[in-house]
Amino acid sequence: MNNWERLVWNQRDALLAGLQVTIEVCFISFACAIVGGLVLCLVRMYVRPLRPVATFLIEFFRATPILVQLLWVNYAWPEIFGWPTSFYQAACTALALQSSGYLAETFRGGIEAVPRGQREAAFAVGMSPLLVFRRIILPQVLLGSAPAIVNQFTVIVKSSTLVSVITVQDLMFQSQKIVNIAYEPIEILTATAALYIAFIYVVSMIGKLLADRLRRSYGIAAH
Amino acid sequence: MIRVVDVHKRFGTLEVLKGVSFDVHRGSVVSMIGASGSGKSTLLRCINHLEVPSAGDIFVDGESLCFRGAADGDRRPRSLAEINRIRRDLGIVFQQFNLWPHMTVLGNVTEAPQRVRGMSRKAAIELGEACLDRVHLRDKAHEYPARLSGGQQQRVAIARALAMQPKVMLFDEPTSSLDPELTDEVLAVMRELAEDGTTMIVVTHEMGFARDVSDQVMFLHNGLIEEEGPPAQLFGAPRSERLRQFVSKHVA
Amino acid sequence: MSESLREILDLQLFWEFRTVLLRGLAVNFYVFIAAAVLALSLGLGAALLRNSRAAPLRWLGTLHVEIFRNAPDYVMVVWVHFVLPLLIGVVLHSRFEFNPFVSAMIALGFVYSGYFAETFRAGIEAIPAGHLEAARSLGIGEGLILRRIILPQVVRSMLPESINQFISLFKATTIVSLIAVPDLMYQVSMITQQQMRPLPLYTGAAITYFVIVLVAGSSLRVLADRWRARIRA
Repeated sequence: MNNWERLVWNQRDALLAGLQVTIEVCFISFACAIVGGLVLCLVRMYVRPLRPVATFLIEFFRATPILVQLLWVNYAWPEIFGWPTSFYQAACTALALQSSGYLAETFRGGIEAVPRGQREAAFAVGMSPLLVFRRIILPQVLLGSAPAIVNQFTVIVKSSTLVSVITVQDLMFQSQKIVNIAYEPIEILTATAALYIAFIYVVSMIGKLLADRLRRSYGIAAH
Repeated sequence: MIRVVDVHKRFGTLEVLKGVSFDVHRGSVVSMIGASGSGKSTLLRCINHLEVPSAGDIFVDGESLCFRGAADGDRRPRSLAEINRIRRDLGIVFQQFNLWPHMTVLGNVTEAPQRVRGMSRKAAIELGEACLDRVHLRDKAHEYPARLSGGQQQRVAIARALAMQPKVMLFDEPTSSLDPELTDEVLAVMRELAEDGTTMIVVTHEMGFARDVSDQVMFLHNGLIEEEGPPAQLFGAPRSERLRQFVSKHVA
Repeated sequence: MSESLREILDLQLFWEFRTVLLRGLAVNFYVFIAAAVLALSLGLGAALLRNSRAAPLRWLGTLHVEIFRNAPDYVMVVWVHFVLPLLIGVVLHSRFEFNPFVSAMIALGFVYSGYFAETFRAGIEAIPAGHLEAARSLGIGEGLILRRIILPQVVRSMLPESINQFISLFKATTIVSLIAVPDLMYQVSMITQQQMRPLPLYTGAAITYFVIVLVAGSSLRVLADRWRARIRA
């Protein structure tokens, strides 16, 4: 039995368990990031008194490295806010916060890119501002930002490799555990790296397809 | 039907409209002509409140667009909800078409009837298809605007405005963004609307249309109506010198 | 909670250890510079490969970009530090080890070369074909074309995007703390273990990065805009 079999194939249960945790964490963070990004964006653009707060938060989440955020949320927040109560929660929170910052700016660009004339046409047929936002602006922003949103998902997947640092049992954690036990890192780490690269490659291809499809069908350029 | 009373419009220190008054009667077609910067687009946009007049008032079917009479006899500016209510009766077609790219042609046309007038989807689709028939684009109902030519998009815009069954149709230089070959199809549709008895106010550079289809032509210069009257008079025997020059420059 | 707030704002501890922490930050800069140089050269190389007329070279460039652009930083750092020396050791028939600083530089350099390659490619494609045709028909050699026509235009148009990527790279250098490179976060962990007071230190680190990224980011962008305006194409 060669090393590949012994270290990778026979450990596939542990690795798959790790992969499952990784995917869960990524999707939860992704969903929260989209909501968070929208909220931050809307507050920044339309809630005048809270504008500086929202702007500060957006810039703060974008400027701090993900590792710093992970450690900060994990160790500092429980003492201040009493939450998060688990490493898993801390990981999802930190990943979501970082991506909300980027998505907030993406959404803002998208909203500003909708031509003014479309709003005017909507007002002219008697649509209320809320209706205009819901039916005209938001769909176009989401459609136009779809490639950037998918790209942010790849960022989350890449950042998720660090959650093993706060002992969340993701794929990296499981791989490193096997390495620590077996002392033979070549096969397992190479397999892990290949797995991540392949997964992210597929996601980015989906993003590219989305962008093409958008441009062809709707004439909306991705931004 | 539409009464404009002494409308002024100022942008910062620049006064674009300096006191314009006129009437538009039901079923008539009024063309507004004039040089760029004369205020004609601004005036049109005031009529459906896309621009707010700095002074003066506009009445749609006797109802003031800008103000409402309060219980104590005072006049107060209208709320957005009320303005939107009045806007439903004013259809507008823009120079840039302004179709919504993420909806199909039929979607564009049925959006307002469903969301603003509260029509059922089925009824809205029936109405939408009828309007697309009027602009001869029924077969493009399920296309997206990006696939259509400029002339087709503008005709869809006309159908979209018609779908709200407005009392008046406003046209803001509808053919200025179009290549010359595509202009005719739009003008033809506008001609048909006029023949059907639609009340229309048209800002245009197409002197042929103004002369042949309108009941009344207004020549604007520097924010004021320099001359108004039937096309035969304005084009055949212009009274003002400026109008004479304008007509000779623009009419082939 | 207010006690914790006081604790978090009590950056005294951060200030107390400022020399050690500053030295850590300097290490981040060293790693950044080294990785940036590698990333730029490899990135430019890959972009040129993708632009070449020979299909296998194009394929090679694309392979490089697709692998490294989609590779997570941390995974690469771990792989380069733990696996690569073993592979090299097999070839050299002896035990081989990387200084963690070198591992970090190689790993981050390769990963970010993927991003820079894409940026350069966009810049190269943005050059109007006419410029290159004119140069070639005048008989100017390829090397000179690269230096005098392609590079200046690419740099000019891709500078803003590149600045963003440099900032990302700088932020990514925090990962090196996980392979025992004595950077800022490494020192923070060491001191935290000693002092058992994570709040002021982690907060201080977050604020430090925030300030650096904000200040460096805006100044670089302002400088870039001025420079680009001066050499208007």
